[in-house]
Amino acid sequence: MPKRRDILAIVLIVLPWTLLITVWHQSAIAPLLAIRKDDGADGGRRDVGQASDSKEYCSSDKDIVEVVRTEYVYTRPPPWSDVLPTIHIITPTYSRPVQKAELTRLANTFLHVANLHWILVEDSQRRTPLVTRMLRETGLNYTHLNVETPRNYKLRGDTRDPRIPRGTMQRNLALRWLRETFNSNSSQAGIVYFADDDNTYSLELFEEMRSTRKVSVWPVAFVGGLRYESPKVNAAGKVYGWKTVFDPHRPFAIDMAGFAINLRLILFKPQAYFKLRGVKGGYQESSLLRELVTLNDLEPKAANCTKILVWHTRTEKPVLVNEGKKGFTDPNVEI
Amino acid sequence: MATRMKLKLKTVFVLYFMVSLMGLIYALMQLGQRCDCAEHDMPKDRTISRLRGELHRLQEQMRKAEPTKLPQKLAVKPAQPTIYVITPTYTRFVQKAELTRLAQTFLHVPQLHWILVEDSPHKTPLVSGFLASSGLAYTHLHTPTPRDRKLQEGDPSWLKPRGAEQRNEGLRWLREDRRGQPGADTQLGVVYFADDDNTYSLQLFEEMRGTQRVSVWPVGLVGGMRYERPVVEGGKVVRFHTGWRPSRPFPLDMAGFAVSLKLVIANQDACFDGDAPMGFLESSFLQGLVTMDELEPKAENCTKVLVWHTRTEKPKMKREEALQKQGLGSDTAVEDNDPTHLQAL
Repeated sequence: MPKRRDILAIVLIVLPWTLLITVWHQSAIAPLLAIRKDDGADGGRRDVGQASDSKEYCSSDKDIVEVVRTEYVYTRPPPWSDVLPTIHIITPTYSRPVQKAELTRLANTFLHVANLHWILVEDSQRRTPLVTRMLRETGLNYTHLNVETPRNYKLRGDTRDPRIPRGTMQRNLALRWLRETFNSNSSQAGIVYFADDDNTYSLELFEEMRSTRKVSVWPVAFVGGLRYESPKVNAAGKVYGWKTVFDPHRPFAIDMAGFAINLRLILFKPQAYFKLRGVKGGYQESSLLRELVTLNDLEPKAANCTKILVWHTRTEKPVLVNEGKKGFTDPNVEI
Repeated sequence: MATRMKLKLKTVFVLYFMVSLMGLIYALMQLGQRCDCAEHDMPKDRTISRLRGELHRLQEQMRKAEPTKLPQKLAVKPAQPTIYVITPTYTRFVQKAELTRLAQTFLHVPQLHWILVEDSPHKTPLVSGFLASSGLAYTHLHTPTPRDRKLQEGDPSWLKPRGAEQRNEGLRWLREDRRGQPGADTQLGVVYFADDDNTYSLQLFEEMRGTQRVSVWPVGLVGGMRYERPVVEGGKVVRFHTGWRPSRPFPLDMAGFAVSLKLVIANQDACFDGDAPMGFLESSFLQGLVTMDELEPKAENCTKVLVWHTRTEKPKMKREEALQKQGLGSDTAVEDNDPTHLQAL
């Protein structure tokens, strides 16, 4: 009998250990203590649980996470993200026959961009019902402002007088609105971009500008009488000049659509505005940028300024000869 | 016996503690080290993951190889008719910009199939690459316009009707594609001719989706007027409000009507006449298809403008030309019309 008791005792003692060892080799427990070697050879992306201490534990990754392809989201606009910096787009606009068409296709573009805030500034005495209604119908996050350019500053008829750049007062009003609405202490990350209502923007452009720390720049097509104008970037990834024909010695020989500014910089330098009077043709952008940043601080985007992501398209003025003096069409029908 | 037992018990305990201690030490040592997980039965999971990756890659390749691409993103509502948009396009500086913003509009429209027809003897890499990354369901076709029908440099845009051959090619493909798929459901659809420089509101596509035969609506900024439109009385089109040649059978713009797919298939010969006099291109197509009182007015009885006949200016390249004369033009070695192909600056 003592022998049996001994045997029983031995069995009871040894049993848990045998269990432990067998289970150990079944790897259910082993991965909890072992570290997985990071293997990129597989097609899937592994989801490491505790990514911070890679030396110690790693999750038992029985379910391989497939690489997530960005599925197109058809909600318009995309849901607001808490992480992405907001892109504040400042667009000056003015009433003319193609205005609603331009704003419509611009809105169709913006509806694809997450965390976009559209600041539309009309060159008018009052906010027009056309724009008010249009903005409301798009569903975009917007701010509708207006300021009328005094007559003596306005372009006369069709003459493109470069000494009076269009949209200056409207852009300045938007900058002032931003400074009044956001204080420099707020943590809201934002990027400011000046988008004219007749240009064409690719969706990639907005993602490129989201990472702007101070001022980022990129090439623009169809400006300066060239296929494109672009900043010159050296091997160190710094901008050292401008590849333009028209006055490349401007402090910032870049089009309005070719740069974006971090909101913090705008708030940090509250005196920086576009110069209204006495600005030579092509120097309007420089009048603002030279108060904010130096050439060295510029961040080149679009693959070191080798890709075109924005086109300076211009819409033809429609020929309305058949309207005649009295107007053939019903003026109440909005176009 | 007692001594034997005691000895035995002591041995057992010693053994027990030795084994436990060794186990603990082993475990502690494992903690600080990397393990080669290939020993565990990871291989099975790795194989699964590798195969999935390959499947993905093959699917991508298949999609690229096919001329028609169908994204599986939308929850397909089988009852919703597909809108087939036929767009003729041709190579020029602003082509990529125009197609870009057009695609940005189309991406908002569910159940849309874009038939892009190039005026070219072969598919250009610019358009092929653009379509592949657009995210739209598309068909990429091409057909060159015969030289005598083509506009020459310096010709005003109204001299010869443009895009007739390309639109006909789109219709031909559509009819052939449907022939290969019998069944009443596949005839459910609407055909719309959208030029690449116009502006379309999203509402327009929902208006046209219910077309039974031919539906019509106003078009802005066309015919030398703020808009052209059909005049509707009692829910039927009675005449057309246009400033230019209102006596045409159908004084409409290409962007002002849509045809149901059923009608397109039922009339296999209906196509655009490239030799038609200016302004009669639309009529040459619609004449055989429908009569004026069969037209379905949309856009609130043709009182709202949902599409605009915008035109894009030709960009001024004087400096480019001047540079090229000096031999300093940008990227002369590269395909002239793709501004994205930048070489070393």
